[in-house]
Amino acid sequence: MLKRTFSMTMMVILMVSVLAACGGGNNAEGNANTGGAKTEISVLVGKQEISKQFEEMVKEYNGSQDKVKVSLIPTAGQNGYERITTLYASNNAPNIMHFLSEFGVMKDKLADLSDQEWVKNANSGTLDYVTEDGKVYGMPMSIEAFGFLYNKSVLDKAVGGSFDPATIKTQDDLKALFDKIKASGVSAFHISPVDWSLGAHFTNVFMANEAPDHADRVKYLEDLKSGSVDLAADKVFNGWLDTFDLMKEYNSAKDSPLAAQYDDAPILLADGEVGMWFMGNWAYTQIKEIDPDGEYGFLPVPVSNNAEDFGNSKISVGVPEYWTVDASQSTPEEQQASKDFLNWMVSSEKGQDYYVNQFGFLPAYSNFTTKPSDPVSQSVLSYTDAEQTLEWMNSYYPPEAFPAMAASMQKYLAGETDRAGLTKEIQAYWNQAK
Amino acid sequence: MYNEKTFSSKLKVFMIFGFVPLFAFITVIVIPFLIGIFMTFTNWNGSSSSFDFMGLSNYTAAFSDPVFWTSMWTTLKYVLITLVLTNVVAFALALLVTSGLKGQNFFRAGFFTPNLIGGIILGFVWQFIFSRVMTYAGTQLDWGFLSASWLGDPDKALWALIVVGVWQNAGYMMLIYVAGLGGISDSLLEAASLDGAKFWRQLFSVKIPLMVPAFTISLFLTLQRSFMVYDTNLSLTKGGPFRSTELIAMHVYNEAFVYQNFGPGQAKAFILFAVVAFIAIMQVSMMKKVEVEA
Repeated sequence: MLKRTFSMTMMVILMVSVLAACGGGNNAEGNANTGGAKTEISVLVGKQEISKQFEEMVKEYNGSQDKVKVSLIPTAGQNGYERITTLYASNNAPNIMHFLSEFGVMKDKLADLSDQEWVKNANSGTLDYVTEDGKVYGMPMSIEAFGFLYNKSVLDKAVGGSFDPATIKTQDDLKALFDKIKASGVSAFHISPVDWSLGAHFTNVFMANEAPDHADRVKYLEDLKSGSVDLAADKVFNGWLDTFDLMKEYNSAKDSPLAAQYDDAPILLADGEVGMWFMGNWAYTQIKEIDPDGEYGFLPVPVSNNAEDFGNSKISVGVPEYWTVDASQSTPEEQQASKDFLNWMVSSEKGQDYYVNQFGFLPAYSNFTTKPSDPVSQSVLSYTDAEQTLEWMNSYYPPEAFPAMAASMQKYLAGETDRAGLTKEIQAYWNQAK
Repeated sequence: MYNEKTFSSKLKVFMIFGFVPLFAFITVIVIPFLIGIFMTFTNWNGSSSSFDFMGLSNYTAAFSDPVFWTSMWTTLKYVLITLVLTNVVAFALALLVTSGLKGQNFFRAGFFTPNLIGGIILGFVWQFIFSRVMTYAGTQLDWGFLSASWLGDPDKALWALIVVGVWQNAGYMMLIYVAGLGGISDSLLEAASLDGAKFWRQLFSVKIPLMVPAFTISLFLTLQRSFMVYDTNLSLTKGGPFRSTELIAMHVYNEAFVYQNFGPGQAKAFILFAVVAFIAIMQVSMMKKVEVEA
């Protein structure tokens, strides 16, 4: 009998403690900030490429002062947005997180960052996307650029001398260059058929080329959704497809274009087996491992035969992600600590060093004393300094736009549909887009 | 054996044995499921604090989405083929490892191993096989059907998924069949062979009819696993090329979390639940009728 009573008691204790654990989370959090204790803030980092280096930076920051303790929340295999929704639902939102297209749904929860130091140092245009009613809600993480990434040594050999990117202004120039590379014995071009590259990045080229003015481009996107744009008759769109045809024709994986693996492409380019690849500066980390001393640079994607046309001399440059601070579930102290941490990251010497040299980020700020020195970053900087940049219109796409357009373009690439079919599918997607 | 008389002692027994699993079942299955159904009638986006009632508009959006039906159709094809192949292979393997073969326990363990590997890792391993090993072999031996990666061609990519699915599940189903074969009494088989029945006759007239319960379970498990496959789909093809191998579980996930259409995504998840539940109940109740008593 005694034994039964004992086991019953244990049972009850167990159950009560399980139930208590369910409801206990909030209280503990509320008490943490009283007294002289450290403010604890959490950061959700969805970018796998930098997670290890980010952890080191956080360790460094935690050691450098005794007011704030930063901890990292791993995404645990979920995508960033899903992780954020679960954390919000459990009343446990991260204090700092980053995102791009989710900004629209999340903005009513975010802290106003307008009064922060870095705002005045941010490059022009980089804050447009996160500015609402004159208030800034996001801090640009970095700058990324994409275009035709070329291996200079291959192109030098093909043109017989030092290759000058300024010589390629039209589709005919591009075709002539492709022919020369081919004549020198290697493949001219490589297309990685991954959906984000085709659907988000490559389509950006025509969207951004549609109008020189930001407001007109946004209006063009709206017109596309409302159905008042006829893509089949759209000059820029057709010119852009002509360029795509050219790329398709000279693609090194022409026989089975969809079987090409992304991981092979940097190897092909670095080994000099292809001359050019449609990709962005992030790929340089892999290229560097194979060919640390090689010279690489960007060429714009020309979409017409008139060198003067808008966009033919520009590469697409934009902000891939923005850091944001939660204001709906974080205490004012936590928000302040979060802002301080973000500020430290882009203004202190240590933070800048991590940013540029460890993360390989191209900073979006004018105050950086640490400057990237690799050839690809140099190439991007030469375009940004000359203001030869195209906007990332893909930031304004609805989330399903790029997979939908990429699917149609992959079909086209594989020869499963013709130009009329591709145009029709893209048009059909936009006509039902919200 | 408990033999409680009073209500309080009955309650005590229930609290010890029944309450914890019931509590767990209700909190992690029943309540989320009901909330999930409730959410299909709202436009909640997964994070905002307010939402409106939308009536059945999420369901109309789900039903009128052609991609959903393409994905459902692809999944049905996938399920049907894996269902047949997995069970044929598993049954053949079960016969093989119970035939008195030398080292049969080693083979049992070997065939079962794919089940122990997580789907994501398994997908990456097979992606390597399909896009490197097989293309290398194909170009070296000049076999046309292997020279380009299967994962780049929509029809072959589905077959690649099927191959991996069968390879992964056959070992598990094999164990169920091994148990089923072990449950057949030796005296029946002995009687059959005394009557002059050879291997095939014994297989079709004695073993298979007596193993219907094992088939019921295996078919049900394969059906459910194939319908819900997500991990190998993600790591092997990621739904590509051009979303042609986006199986239904992945489609639902993408709709809700990647394309941020929470409402229609949730409605699709519920439609999927209804379809799978209907097919599974049909299958089990039909099989139950075929079962015989030894």
